Amino acid sequence: MNHIMVLFFANLRDYAGSKSLPMEIPIGSDVKTLKKLLVRQNADLEQALQTVLVSINHEYAFDEDVVPDGAEVALFPPVSGG
Amino acid sequence: MPDSPTFFAITEDEIDLNALLAQITLTSSGAAAIFTGMVRGITRRGEAHETEFLEYEAYKPMAEEKMRQVADEIRAKWPTVEGIAIVQRIGKLFPKTPTVLIACTAAHRDTGVFEAARYGIDRLKEIVPIWKKEVGSDGQFWVEGDYIPERGD
Repeated sequence: MNHIMVLFFANLRDYAGSKSLPMEIPIGSDVKTLKKLLVRQNADLEQALQTVLVSINHEYAFDEDVVPDGAEVALFPPVSGG
Repeated sequence: MPDSPTFFAITEDEIDLNALLAQITLTSSGAAAIFTGMVRGITRRGEAHETEFLEYEAYKPMAEEKMRQVADEIRAKWPTVEGIAIVQRIGKLFPKTPTVLIACTAAHRDTGVFEAARYGIDRLKEIVPIWKKEVGSDGQFWVEGDYIPERGD
């Protein structure tokens, strides 16, 4: 298993009910698998994960990207700074 | 590079335009294009509403890396740009308060410096992980952007 840290921002944090969540995921899991694991833990996230952006170690990541061991993964809505 | 100052920050403090301008002005600079955005209390365009305040948050380490990327992109497109400052203020901010500032300096005003600053604010709104919650006449809700990043963003 790989150990990762998942961070939530903006409305994702509201849905998740916390800022961060340490997780153990199977080696070789991609972003899509991680989303499924998160919904299994917390069904409230399902709606929000439809349009979520994902980063791995501060770079944007996509469904097919593998999550490496020790990764800092963040989930958040399309950005609205300015 | 000492000859091309790049300054970026995510801060809870007031944005100090004069201090930022001093940081990105070289002896060879003769022009600065500055964009700043502030909290709009009354919105008439689209769905009209009033805003009591905005609450900003950032994913700071990634936001700083993405601000650096925006600055690099500006320099690649407009090599004549000399200094770049990108600042986002976060926290609870009330109408008329400046929230963001992008400034670019160059030797002359006809070098693309206006376009460079415009690109900077547009790009910040696309890829820098910052969000605002709007609190006002319609209750409170997270404002969601409309840009979906692609590989390389």
